[in-house]
Amino acid sequence: MMSTSTLVRSRSCLGAVAVALLVMAPAHGASADGDALSLESAPADSAGARNAPKLFIEGAIGSAQSRVLPGSSDTGRLSLDVSYSGKLGTNWRLVFSDRIDVIHPTAAPGTDATINSLREAYASWQPVGGGLSFDFGRINARSGPGYGYNPTDFFRDGSLRVVTTADPFALRQNRLGTVMLRAQRLWEGGSVSFAHAPKLESRPSADGWSADLGSTNNRARSLFTLSTKISEGINSQVLLYKDAGLSPTIGANASALLSDAAVAHVEWTRGREPDLLSRTFGGPANLATRNRFVGGVTYTTLGKTSITAEYQYNGFALSQSRWAALATTPGAQFLYLGESLRRLELAPRQALLMYVSQRSLWLKDLDLAAYVRFNLEDSSKLAWVELRHHWSNFDLTLQWQQNIGRPSTEFGLLPDRRVVQVLGTYYF
Amino acid sequence: MKFLYLMAALFCLGGPAQAAPTADEILAAADAIRNPPKPFSVTVTLTEFQNRKQIDANTLTSYSRLQPSGQYSSLVRFVLPARDTGKLMLKNGNDMWFYDPVNKASVRLSPQQRLLGQASNGDVATVNLAKDYKPALAGQEEIKDGEGKSRKAHKLALKAAVPDATYASIEMWVDVENSRPLKAHFYAESSRLLKTVYYRKFQAQLGAERPTESVIIDGLNPQSVTLMRFTDYKERDIPETWMQRDFLPRFQAE
Repeated sequence: MMSTSTLVRSRSCLGAVAVALLVMAPAHGASADGDALSLESAPADSAGARNAPKLFIEGAIGSAQSRVLPGSSDTGRLSLDVSYSGKLGTNWRLVFSDRIDVIHPTAAPGTDATINSLREAYASWQPVGGGLSFDFGRINARSGPGYGYNPTDFFRDGSLRVVTTADPFALRQNRLGTVMLRAQRLWEGGSVSFAHAPKLESRPSADGWSADLGSTNNRARSLFTLSTKISEGINSQVLLYKDAGLSPTIGANASALLSDAAVAHVEWTRGREPDLLSRTFGGPANLATRNRFVGGVTYTTLGKTSITAEYQYNGFALSQSRWAALATTPGAQFLYLGESLRRLELAPRQALLMYVSQRSLWLKDLDLAAYVRFNLEDSSKLAWVELRHHWSNFDLTLQWQQNIGRPSTEFGLLPDRRVVQVLGTYYF
Repeated sequence: MKFLYLMAALFCLGGPAQAAPTADEILAAADAIRNPPKPFSVTVTLTEFQNRKQIDANTLTSYSRLQPSGQYSSLVRFVLPARDTGKLMLKNGNDMWFYDPVNKASVRLSPQQRLLGQASNGDVATVNLAKDYKPALAGQEEIKDGEGKSRKAHKLALKAAVPDATYASIEMWVDVENSRPLKAHFYAESSRLLKTVYYRKFQAQLGAERPTESVIIDGLNPQSVTLMRFTDYKERDIPETWMQRDFLPRFQAE
């Protein structure tokens, strides 16, 4: 993410040095300026590099400590990631984005170790001078300002072929788009768009090289979105979503600048649909009209740390009593969690996310990102920390994830107690 | 007859009387030199030094247009390093967004978040100071410009005039001869010096002699220096519809 952290350049640990320099500054100001004025800029970038495809490879090795088996097991991954966006003539634009992951161990015995995710492949036509555009193809149409849960991101279900990290931001990088026709009109301070995604396949594909349209286009869906800039500090979206065979769902999201240092975000949807348990096990659909909600605040301190607190609610998730009752059926809770992950849904009714990021933690090029996700129903927790060091074209990353909770809780049920991995990423 | 003598004496002293420029006029003229009036794009290369050693280099392209409010809005596209290629940052007043085309996430930024990074140095480059600050003339001084030459300069003392001004106060030196901005000190509310900026390497760009390099010296740590080099100025058709969140996924670099 920048992520917001892209901006952070902390020197918070230099307090004593800073005071000393402040005292010294007047005496040395003129010579320091002279020194600075003798420096020369790096050569300007050549224009040719600007629109080349973005390409990186990433390797990961790690260790997962099981809850039930003694010792730990090795994990590994090699990924190739490419994305491209370019103009074709005056009015046309082509977008392509793909990722190949070779993973060890595989998600389930007998499944492919090599998974290709065709994230985007679409053409866009935009008449000159107008705010109108038409897009057709596989489009990653994402909405919602939430950090860890996005109720108004209506095309999220089935969009992940492979889960390589617990980082919610990285997960979004890997998601599949949906094949759709989308029209959008922009005007000053707002836009309106309509997207229709047809049914193209019936079931998801386990073939690693499949475009897997069955995951993203297994039913017809439509989405109408109205975006408005209410004021300089407040933006909102109102959304109307129609899923084949179900009543329309209404949704809204907004983000607002609260102060020089604080930003708030909210998302809400209300619709009539089967609950998550019915979706997991099939059978007669338990239709109900319920809400989903996310609300959070991000505060950036003078110490240049960004902290986000986010409350998450899913009215279609199991209540704590029904979750506990599910434990009497072996494997049922696990299947329920699997379905919630597949749908990028919140498994418990309520959860809390605390997310922290800081650039230049101790070194200029060392970044920290960390979060804790609290299940407010069963008190289990997932803690995740990432330290990332940048060089000019290479990142070295350490990730640590701890799943904390009693057996039969959301995070206590996960097969791994702790996952530690080291990643190397090279950007071309 | 006395009247004629008086008039003759005045002409002998200085010719026709010419009013000295006011602080507002000096600042407006300096702003006009830094900022092209028509929508434009420029490539910015930022080179960071610590103790004279280069520690980082970034390239971005900035697309700017003057708003009816008198202030600039900017859409910044990151070009280098490779990990950041294609990421966008939008600033339209306090409507500020960061967009990553890989995860399609538009994240609203607070002014404090935005100030933490290199993009905030863009404020030094493309901002109409006359819009956000009230200037007062603090005399004339002989100073060394960014290329080591002595220049006679107006010294302006600027105070923030709007609540969302980035800096509490600014001292600015403007060349008496041609209204070029030469040097500025940017201060926090606490009167702490945040940065010193020299404007230099003036070249003909988009109809005026404009600075093509800024030297930014950290106020707290003078050994931390950032050079901003401006190349490839182009006048462009930049519609107002670009300056909003919903345009970000549709932006296409040329």
